[in-house]
Amino acid sequence: MSEVDPKELRIVGFLCNWCSYGGADTAGVSRFKQPTDLRIIRVPCSGRVDPLFIIKALINGADGVLVSGCHPRDCHYSDGNFYARRRLEMLKRLLPFLGIDDKRFHYTWISASEGQRWQKTVTDFTSQIHRLGPLHSGKEAQP
Amino acid sequence: MRVGVFICHCGSNIAGTVDVARAAAELRKVPGVAFATNYMYTCSEPGQEEIKQAIQREHLDRIVVAACSPRMHELTFRRTIEKAGLNRYFLEMANIREHISWVGLDKEANTKKAIEAIKMAVAKVMQNKPLYSSSFKVNKRVLVIGGGVAGMQAALDCGDGGLEVVLVEKSPSVGGMMARLDKTFPTIDCSICILGPKMVDVAQHDKIKLYAYSEIEDIKGYVGNYQVKIRRKATYVDWTKCTGCGLCMEKCPSKNSYDYFNFGVAPTRAINIPFPQAIPKKAKIDPNYCRQFTRGKCGVCAKICPTGAINYEMEDEIVTEDVGAIIVASGYGLIDMDKFPEYGGGRYPDVITGIQYERLLNASGPTEGHIVRPSDHTEPKTVVFVSCAGSRDKSLGIPYCSNFCCMYIAKQAILTKDHIPDSQSYVFYMDIRSPGKGYDEFTRRAQEDYGAKYIRGRVSRIYPKGKKLIVVGADTLLGTQVEIEADLVVLATAVTAAPGAAQLAEKLHISYDTFGFYVESHPKLRPVETNTSGVFLAGAAQGPKDIPASVGQGSAAASKVLALFSKDMLESDPAVAKVNENTCVGCLKCKLTCPFGAIQEKELRGGKVVASVIETVCAGCGVCTSTCPCGAIQLSHFTDNQLLAEVNAICQK
Amino acid sequence: MSLDKLKQIITDVLKDVDVVIGYKQGFDALHATPCFVTKPEQVDEIIWSPLCVQNLAGYLTSLKKKVGIVVKGCDSRTIVQYMQEGLIDRNKVVVIGIPCTGILSVKKVLEKVKHEPVEEVTFGNDGTVIVKTPSGDTKMALSEVAPDKCETCLYPTPVVYDHLADEPIASTKDPQNVFKDVEEFNKKSLEEKKKYWEKEFDRCIRCYACRNACPMCVCQDSCIAETRDPHWISQRSNLTEKMMFHMIHALHLAGRCVECGECERVCPMGIPVNKLKKKINSDMKALFGYEPGVKPEDKPPMLTFSVEEKNIEEHKL
Repeated sequence: MSEVDPKELRIVGFLCNWCSYGGADTAGVSRFKQPTDLRIIRVPCSGRVDPLFIIKALINGADGVLVSGCHPRDCHYSDGNFYARRRLEMLKRLLPFLGIDDKRFHYTWISASEGQRWQKTVTDFTSQIHRLGPLHSGKEAQP
Repeated sequence: MRVGVFICHCGSNIAGTVDVARAAAELRKVPGVAFATNYMYTCSEPGQEEIKQAIQREHLDRIVVAACSPRMHELTFRRTIEKAGLNRYFLEMANIREHISWVGLDKEANTKKAIEAIKMAVAKVMQNKPLYSSSFKVNKRVLVIGGGVAGMQAALDCGDGGLEVVLVEKSPSVGGMMARLDKTFPTIDCSICILGPKMVDVAQHDKIKLYAYSEIEDIKGYVGNYQVKIRRKATYVDWTKCTGCGLCMEKCPSKNSYDYFNFGVAPTRAINIPFPQAIPKKAKIDPNYCRQFTRGKCGVCAKICPTGAINYEMEDEIVTEDVGAIIVASGYGLIDMDKFPEYGGGRYPDVITGIQYERLLNASGPTEGHIVRPSDHTEPKTVVFVSCAGSRDKSLGIPYCSNFCCMYIAKQAILTKDHIPDSQSYVFYMDIRSPGKGYDEFTRRAQEDYGAKYIRGRVSRIYPKGKKLIVVGADTLLGTQVEIEADLVVLATAVTAAPGAAQLAEKLHISYDTFGFYVESHPKLRPVETNTSGVFLAGAAQGPKDIPASVGQGSAAASKVLALFSKDMLESDPAVAKVNENTCVGCLKCKLTCPFGAIQEKELRGGKVVASVIETVCAGCGVCTSTCPCGAIQLSHFTDNQLLAEVNAICQK
Repeated sequence: MSLDKLKQIITDVLKDVDVVIGYKQGFDALHATPCFVTKPEQVDEIIWSPLCVQNLAGYLTSLKKKVGIVVKGCDSRTIVQYMQEGLIDRNKVVVIGIPCTGILSVKKVLEKVKHEPVEEVTFGNDGTVIVKTPSGDTKMALSEVAPDKCETCLYPTPVVYDHLADEPIASTKDPQNVFKDVEEFNKKSLEEKKKYWEKEFDRCIRCYACRNACPMCVCQDSCIAETRDPHWISQRSNLTEKMMFHMIHALHLAGRCVECGECERVCPMGIPVNKLKKKINSDMKALFGYEPGVKPEDKPPMLTFSVEEKNIEEHKL
């Protein structure tokens, strides 16, 4: 069980291999500083991201989830991100209905050359999650 | 399960801001990790040797390398562990350099993040399964789409390399845009004189099969095994009988047909051969203008034709060709002049585009090379050239530069002076882009030797005054407004994607950018490949470029195809989707959503219908896996269990 | 509608099919039950009344023979949704549509008669229901004990049918009100909504009745809620796993739920299972103009895409 440093919150990121993961690499190569909260999971395409992964993360301890893929029309697999866009929008609108602030979930499109945009996204999203605070107060009943 | 963890220092790139020794110590505590160490440069030869020896010595069966990005060295380390006897898919990399050590300041926070990232990779690798490639035969024939200079070069190089080539060209003749030019910069070579021999070579090459006036209808299959349906459009002339004598064109009574080859700068006959050097040199009827089709009464060409080649009943024909690779050289388009109402484009007959002017300059053109004003057929004495009509203009959605206009304006200014010695040319420009060999010297010649006056500024308005056109612009170097009374205005209209580019891309499963140009695999290092294996790019379809660059790309694409075909069998990527036939309920939602059509129905013994993946077509996107409600279809190497292992490693309540 | 007319249609249809599925009297006066008619003699058992609450269309995906089926308006949407997803062969189904004048909710009736055993149920032409129990007769209006879905029913007449057992009925409900309940609920605070769902899902006993009754849930034995490959949820009985199950169910029905209400009808714990799916349906309408189970040529929105999405804006942080 990893202890969460009170300075850090748990943010899960799903990044598509061809664009956004490359964008994060570009940000690294350019040494663009970012907060350390984010944990990145590599997927081949944003279309691989089942909305259930985001729910699983949020209700099992994550405080925020970020999904990033190629810009629509630039998907390495032609149509993957078109499906992702519809499904993730559906999820985003559902979250507040469940009582989860939809600001805890952000999906965006970042290409492999957009290192600066990646840095800004990570920094801004981490701040947003910190402003919202931890999602789980730890007062939950366990059997 | 015995996982080995190798944490790289990468010199000081990682070790500078991550405590690698502590990370290794923490990883040793993780259940399943049998061995954890840190090393200076893991990707180096001794570093890889370390890994191989550790695998043997410690009996490791799965490996995690915590180092740079997997996009950098995943292939390297896969080969390393394969040499040590493990299946190459038992490797995972934790990116602790690009994503951690290079972007975090606090060593404590970085180390903690690195430890968690490595634990995630360990959790995933424990779920990995061995994957095995299979081999498949490759059909050593290549399809080239587009018969312009890039496509023809690619076809000739492939043919000379011993491959069978199918060349499909949408217009009635090959040659593309270059066939319409009069002369080429910077040598002022006659364009059709240098292109003609290539066109003849293509027609006569024993390995090249040319389908002119044809388009791609449908493409199925995968690299090495494509089935292409080609629509041979009806020309209403039997090309096996037509000799290209041109009698039909002389006698055709319908004289106001739109001339596609001449970009409408002058009309043509309803039945025509596009230009004298056309290949194939055959006639074609435009049914929109032909009186036989529109009024039901004429038939002059049918009576006149000495070989009886006219056939008004002809229909489109679909043929199938099987090929192993595809080169896309579908060229470019030009923005419509009516986008410039302030220039009177489309309204004033004496405001024309660069390519239309080229046709007036051309000795085989509608005016036999005499430059005349379209309105009254008199010779212009003052010609104004407007650069960047549409290019570099965000408001029109064209922020890019069209690459060759500066050069052709200089050429056209020079030729104008040659044709009309007492003429004066003016060129309104923003910058002069002349990067190629001899290019800058050429643009200077236009100004210094041929008297073209270059004005640095844009044109705001063009309006008619009597028989002339008033061109209102700015001269930013002098800081004044200028007005010129022009006889003829030539707009250097912006290059756009070819019409129908998006539809073609969708048939090929390749991407195109916001402007419609096809996307290359890597902008610097792989300019002629696409991310779809087996499909290559050449020429302006990938982005505006001039003739030498197009020819270069044509040859480059051909060399890629020749390399692809150098083996008889290709290895398939095993990280594809697989169906568990026991749990599949046959709802076929995966088949509906697969972007590549890689899934088909399969009936099992007993009648149960399940999904089945065509492994060679599957590109590995995973949309099927996120669509499947019962988890029966899983993308190998990115299965639900593998991704859930990573999620669970991070989120622990 | 005359019961004899329905019986006649079923008898005729029986000549061309292997089985006709309809309703017959159940184990007591308050319950109807599905009836599988294979011989003409069985047609006499057929009933039609507000007791006929089940959605019989759910049987279609597991039957390989030629089937005749009796459907109300709401049930017929299931058939159209099946057609959109290619889950049935339309040529193998003969649809006997009944324009519906309303049904009752067994749970609501039992509430009214304080859960006493029901001896007799009679329906008046004026929309009244008289329920006879050991303590006497209780009179109520059908509208009082109708399930929630009838309140916003837009399709009382089946949207697809081969035979119609009565004159078509037009809907009297305002389409603008269809999603009023989810809109009202969404106005509550995040904290209130979170507590509400925690309270509701904690009652769940993972009996999977909702999933089994749902006609669109065709995965049945392969359901990922009960498998370890892939291992989405465990069998642990805590709120997290229960909530995950309901999210799996709701998200797999995104843009597919025809709001037949079976899930809520069968839930033994009275959990408002349909609410989540209705919320997603309201978003499908707003984003893509899509209504499940209405037009056979439509494509479920989560299984397709548009290159330009008019109603999805890029989110800024």
